[in-house]
Amino acid sequence: MFFAGLIPSYLALLAFLVAIVLTVLAIWRKQSELPKLVSLLAKSAFILQTIGVISLIVMLILEDYTNYYVASVVNPAMPGILKVTALWGGQAGSLFFWSWLVSLIVFIALSSKRKLIDAWSFLILAANVGFFLGLSLFGDNPFVRIWALSDGSLVSSLFAPEVGAVVHKLGIGMGLNPLLRHPGMIIHPPMLYLGYALFFVPFAVGISTLIQKRNDDQLIHDTRPWVVLGWVFLTGGIVLGSWWSYDVLGWGGYWAWDPVETASLLPWLTATALLHSFLLERKRGIFKRFNFVLVLLTYLLVIFSIFVTRSGLVNSVHAFSESTISIPLLVFMCFWLLTSIVLLVWRWKALGGEFEISSPISREAFFLYTNIILLALTTVCLWGLIFPLINGAVTGNQVVLDRGYYDRTTTPLFLLLVFLLAICPLIGWNAVQLKKIGKKLWIPLGLSVLTVVILFLSGLRIAMALAGIFLVALGLFTLLTLTIRDGIAVGFSKFWAFLWRQRNRYGAWLVHAGILLIALGIVGMETLSTNIQGTMLPHEKMPLMGYEIEFNSISETFTNPEYMTAEADTTLYKDGKEIARLYPAQHIYPERNQFISIPAVDSNLGRDVYLLLVGYNVDVPYITLRMSVNPLINFMWLGGIFLVLGGLCVATTSSHVREDEELVQEEPLEV
Amino acid sequence: MKKKNTKLIIGIVIIIAAVVYLITSSTLSQSQYFLTVEELQSNQAEYVGKNVRMSGAVLGDTIEYDPQTLELTFQVAQIPGDHRVIEQMGGMSVVLAQAAHDPTLPKMTVHYVGPRPDLLKDEAQAIITGSLDENGIFQASELLLKCPSKYQSELPEQSK
Repeated sequence: MFFAGLIPSYLALLAFLVAIVLTVLAIWRKQSELPKLVSLLAKSAFILQTIGVISLIVMLILEDYTNYYVASVVNPAMPGILKVTALWGGQAGSLFFWSWLVSLIVFIALSSKRKLIDAWSFLILAANVGFFLGLSLFGDNPFVRIWALSDGSLVSSLFAPEVGAVVHKLGIGMGLNPLLRHPGMIIHPPMLYLGYALFFVPFAVGISTLIQKRNDDQLIHDTRPWVVLGWVFLTGGIVLGSWWSYDVLGWGGYWAWDPVETASLLPWLTATALLHSFLLERKRGIFKRFNFVLVLLTYLLVIFSIFVTRSGLVNSVHAFSESTISIPLLVFMCFWLLTSIVLLVWRWKALGGEFEISSPISREAFFLYTNIILLALTTVCLWGLIFPLINGAVTGNQVVLDRGYYDRTTTPLFLLLVFLLAICPLIGWNAVQLKKIGKKLWIPLGLSVLTVVILFLSGLRIAMALAGIFLVALGLFTLLTLTIRDGIAVGFSKFWAFLWRQRNRYGAWLVHAGILLIALGIVGMETLSTNIQGTMLPHEKMPLMGYEIEFNSISETFTNPEYMTAEADTTLYKDGKEIARLYPAQHIYPERNQFISIPAVDSNLGRDVYLLLVGYNVDVPYITLRMSVNPLINFMWLGGIFLVLGGLCVATTSSHVREDEELVQEEPLEV
Repeated sequence: MKKKNTKLIIGIVIIIAAVVYLITSSTLSQSQYFLTVEELQSNQAEYVGKNVRMSGAVLGDTIEYDPQTLELTFQVAQIPGDHRVIEQMGGMSVVLAQAAHDPTLPKMTVHYVGPRPDLLKDEAQAIITGSLDENGIFQASELLLKCPSKYQSELPEQSK
């Protein structure tokens, strides 16, 4: 399996290098089209890489402990699916997997019917695959084997480090860190990586357009599906990561402004801005410069995010600790940054479209505000990540910015964004009279005021919570009333067909509703969540917010070879009535001297009751329990689903729908 | 038409100014020093009561946890703050293992109230936010633990 993995991987790298040389020759001969041979080479390279990845997966499943990487992430007790996910459970494997994903994206781009990839854009994509594959094979090779030297000591190396050394098979592997043994591990990393990789194509087309001094709409036309899909995967990945960290204690709840989390948010913010500015360019022919800047910036931030995760320069729960590849990554990032800046400056004048915004209260103006706020958020988060590095380099002092910084800077910006999002659908293109908006506003406004009044009367007195819920309700009711108005006008029998035909617009609305729901979840967690901790003897009860938890018993079981399970049996009461039996647990790994908490959650749309077993004693017996009531949290996950579904709706409309769209009146139902 | 655009530009400038203000004021008020045990102890008077962050190697034998009161105390030993130094010494896991068994290194007692983190164990790297009190004990408000773990170092060294 060693050679089956290693040789195809080296051949793939070789194929990419040859393809790059051939492409350079083609460009030299002023040939802008990509030679057939090059495309064939790149596709075969992808097949070869796939063989390499499959070999590594087989080694992981078969527990080939002669392989260093396998020995560090797999052990016999792990279920099969987790052995496969161990492919991205450590630095070497995940870098290899990532280079394969980038190659996959290039393969798909080359296979698409539309002639998307010309010589220049291929050159840029191939340089990326070549770089990451090279980094994997020469920086942190996942196929490194373990060798026994003649003096009996063990070293790891690809090939025999000295004459007489033999390949050594370890008896057992270390296994994946218990914190990574979670369903989230199966989809969160691949989804995030796929989202990242999809942004490579728009970047390549963007750079190629700039270099060849083209000035057409090709960029938007061809790369929009890639941006939308990239956005969908990135969004899905981020929301899943958030759910994972909510489900595993120690990762600080749903969002902790951990550097790696923050870094993954950066390309999401610029990609979101890009989607808005693409739309404006399509509809109004403005914002061309904005498009180019955002396409390049999104890619650069993806590379930055990879750098933050893999360089070891930033302290984070997610980060890999090794830093052997940080210098090449930094050089790579700076190269593309400089290239982007030079190209943009060079072409800046030529890119200028008519920048014309008729009124400060028009949809195009609102798009502009939205993008300014998104870029402000990007700046704020980027500063939070690089300020400690800059400050360290200049003054020698290590300084950090944590939650406090992000809470203070991002809260007002996010609130502003939600406000814009809430009222934006009411505002038409071009200049709008305020009177007209008012006419459409009063129903949603009335309903949201009513909501807040009802909540106030039923005892909710927290001003921030009421304000947040008001904003969210305003946005949701606006979308709802507008959709119903459309429904009345079109006729409900034809409504579904209409919705599907117009999925570009309603998909976007679904995404907006998703953002509002996520905002609702955040309002719940930040202003309404409460918790209590206490130690209980059997049949003692602990109260919180009308709930009571009763401790019944605690048991230790040894069913798993690797860990012992300590499980508490508890009963949850609401107003004196039993509503659930909950079993918060700990998995204790004696060999690792580590334990992980497995929370027990009673969940409904309104709230979670979240129990964590903090400590216990089976002899007394007692348990120490942390109980939280987290109102509205599940709207966050529901919102995440809305985002992905809405994004997919938009993604299924390709650019040929464009004519269709022109037919539609923007305001079908002016009453 | 032109006038309207001027208005818009003025608006944008105001927004940018507000963001710059937000960033600078928050950076000034929220940034924390990230110190080693040694740096903290050699300038104890300067840092008492100030919100700082500290990194050190957890000494497993010193961990005391009372699940009734959720009071957690443990000691951390000095590890270098500079990445390059850590790399030169053979990587984080080696540094942590050495620090946990070297009695000559400066140590700091940490006090924390809350659930015991899953990764708190011997030779883990603790990144602790909080402040130093008058008795020289570090009162932690937040614990972040990372484990390059000795299990990695049980695997053979990579030969170049």
